Amino acid sequence: MPKTILTVDDSASVRQMVRFTLTEAGYNVIEASDGQDALAKLTAPVNLVITDLNMPCLDGIGLIRCLRANPACKGVPIIMLTTESQEAKKQEGRAAGATGWIVKPFTAQQLVAVVKKVIG
Amino acid sequence: MMDAFQAGFFDEARELLAELELALLEMDDKRGDPEIIGRAFRALHTIKGSGAMFGFEQIAGFTHHLESAFDRVRNGQLDVSSSLTNLALAASDQIKAMLEEAAGRGTADPARSDEILRSVSELMGPSDAPAQRASSAPAPAGGEGGPVREWRIHFRPSPDVLVNGTNPLLLLRELREFGDLKVTVDTSAIPPLQDIAPERCYLAWDMTLATEAPRDAIRDVFIFVEDDSELIIEAFGEAVGEAAGDRPEAKPSAAARAPSRSAPAKSAGAGQAAASIRVAAGKLDQLVNLVGELVTVQARLSEAAARSNDGTILDIAEAVERLTSELRENSMSIRMLPLRATFERFRRLVHDLGVELGKDVELTVEGAETELDKTVIDQLNDPLVHLIRNSMDHGIETPEARRAAGKHPTARIHLSALHSGANVLIRVSDDGRGLDAEKVRARALEQGLIDVSSRLSEPEVYSLIFEPGFSTAREVTDVSGRGVGMDVVRRNVEALHGSIELASRPGEGLTVTLRLPLTLAIIDGLLVRVGDAHFVLPLANSLECVELTGEDIQAAHGNRIANVRGELIPYIRLSEYFQMNTARPDREQIMVVETEHGLYGFVVDQVLGDHQTVIKNLGRLCRNVQVVSGATILGNGTVALILDPHRLVQNVLQTASETKRPGVSALRGAGQRSTADQHLHSKGTQDLCYVK
Repeated sequence: MPKTILTVDDSASVRQMVRFTLTEAGYNVIEASDGQDALAKLTAPVNLVITDLNMPCLDGIGLIRCLRANPACKGVPIIMLTTESQEAKKQEGRAAGATGWIVKPFTAQQLVAVVKKVIG
Repeated sequence: MMDAFQAGFFDEARELLAELELALLEMDDKRGDPEIIGRAFRALHTIKGSGAMFGFEQIAGFTHHLESAFDRVRNGQLDVSSSLTNLALAASDQIKAMLEEAAGRGTADPARSDEILRSVSELMGPSDAPAQRASSAPAPAGGEGGPVREWRIHFRPSPDVLVNGTNPLLLLRELREFGDLKVTVDTSAIPPLQDIAPERCYLAWDMTLATEAPRDAIRDVFIFVEDDSELIIEAFGEAVGEAAGDRPEAKPSAAARAPSRSAPAKSAGAGQAAASIRVAAGKLDQLVNLVGELVTVQARLSEAAARSNDGTILDIAEAVERLTSELRENSMSIRMLPLRATFERFRRLVHDLGVELGKDVELTVEGAETELDKTVIDQLNDPLVHLIRNSMDHGIETPEARRAAGKHPTARIHLSALHSGANVLIRVSDDGRGLDAEKVRARALEQGLIDVSSRLSEPEVYSLIFEPGFSTAREVTDVSGRGVGMDVVRRNVEALHGSIELASRPGEGLTVTLRLPLTLAIIDGLLVRVGDAHFVLPLANSLECVELTGEDIQAAHGNRIANVRGELIPYIRLSEYFQMNTARPDREQIMVVETEHGLYGFVVDQVLGDHQTVIKNLGRLCRNVQVVSGATILGNGTVALILDPHRLVQNVLQTASETKRPGVSALRGAGQRSTADQHLHSKGTQDLCYVK
């Protein structure tokens, strides 16, 4: 049973890259374009959420808070995508309950390494 | 594979730039709206992030500075000013140029980038010039070389580690990949059973690890948790082996192993069952063409099936008809696009022209969600640009002149779109000075477009501005007035089987209405018969079908008016209109059709039923025929003409008014047109030479 990963990003090209990389690595990938969309698509449990921080509607921090407040998603690993200029955001994300982070720009190898680290 | 990602990035970046431009222009209007500033920031942020991801460091670096500026705006540290907006628009153009350069089209001037960045840092103030971005990214794990050493690791995660989604066992497993790992669990912190909270982690681990990896690589394993955990990593003992290069069985590190997992890139298809996909427009056109052919063949099948009278074949033919019709609707809907993108593009045009002409103009948009066939939208851009330019240049006055005329100094151009039957009406209105009928007339006389004896109604005078070479501009400006433009508008619109109407309120403004068909490919039609000829009327405008008996005709005392449930509806008998010498049957049928002139009836011998109509263009010979919008091929291979009810009614009304008021031959009048129509019919509807 492949593990399911939800990738949340308002950039279609980043989603495409994440999806391609993780599908190749043997994961099942769901895409969402922002926090709202992600919540709507979380009808079944997922093994990992990878979310951008800057998004319309509901941003990454808001999404992490929503997920942590939901008993069903409490222990789900959440990785946030940050940029090197967003140290404050990263801390905010950690405080909200993010599991880890990847700094953009990242390579396919880095992405797979982090995903493996968090969900095996 | 990277190329496909890059192509995706180019598409996305172009959309983001359009979004950025839009936000910037709106920001200019509504300063300090955090929602709009947020949108501009996000667009920049995504261009930067994705640009760096897909190897466009230069674009990312350039965008970064702009993003920093907007981050400050967002945090209230920098005010929105028109110099910022203009700078950002210039930067947006520069990013566009850099994108084109990266895509192998054209070149971007690096000096221009520097110039823009200098202005950005000036705007941001000297205290905090945009810092050079660091492009390093942390490698999560790995390390090579160095002698194998033994490490003692103590790890006590925070009790909340599980809730935050970290599985400590995975971290231990990751450590094991570095080398030989021995683990001892420290259970001393586990409380009595009644105090245990199931979501908390009470365990700690003491480990020894023999690896050639450096300390930093080991620490990186705990990168996500080290801030909240007790973590001690110390080296002890001596090196237990030689350098890694001498150990043939040296284990690869996690980072070194990862690429081999993701390397076999087979096909992009597997991973792209996304919510939407991008398809080349040419493929869609091909699909629609094929569906058109299929519809024609299906009509033949139905016809043949009806003749054979074989139940099985009839069944199959019906199923095929149903499926074809669904397929047609589906494939047509794929080509439908909202007008939004087209409309929004004009904001920039209006902004730039306003600066150039020194006029203050606000563009408002309505009905941007209206959908139109992509091929129609593609050809709509030029006419709309001409109309807007014309409004900006000729219609709208300078702010001073507006004030003198008692108007608001900021002029308005309103773009709107709405559905009307099988058509879409697109309006461009301005609140400028409008058209001066006298001036237009004088100018037309001067240019020999009309002669002195011509007596023209106001709409006829206005339509003169669409004649080739016509211009009332006193001097030629950069924007318009070179005598090309409005005739191009009419040509383009007519090529789309559309029409143009003008409504001018002198001193108050001008409204130009473009009436365009929803699609140029396949429509739902109603097949009718007159004598032995077939015609198709667009179903979208057809309301009902009633009988017209001899008694009804007598009751109207020679007027061509039918009484449909108490409502009087004027009608046009097609056999008369086309001067066909057919015997009038006892019972005729009236198709009641909604036109822009109200309800009209079209009298035919028989209504045959609905028909999926694949529109074929009439050849060049018939380009002046206005009442026929095309032709279609029926199941038996014969040709039916597709009528344009709106034009037909207009033509009849015009002919009627011209018989009272002769001598307007200088205009492209209806007399001329109806001759062409009759000529067309006298050649016979089955004459295939007219059909491309």
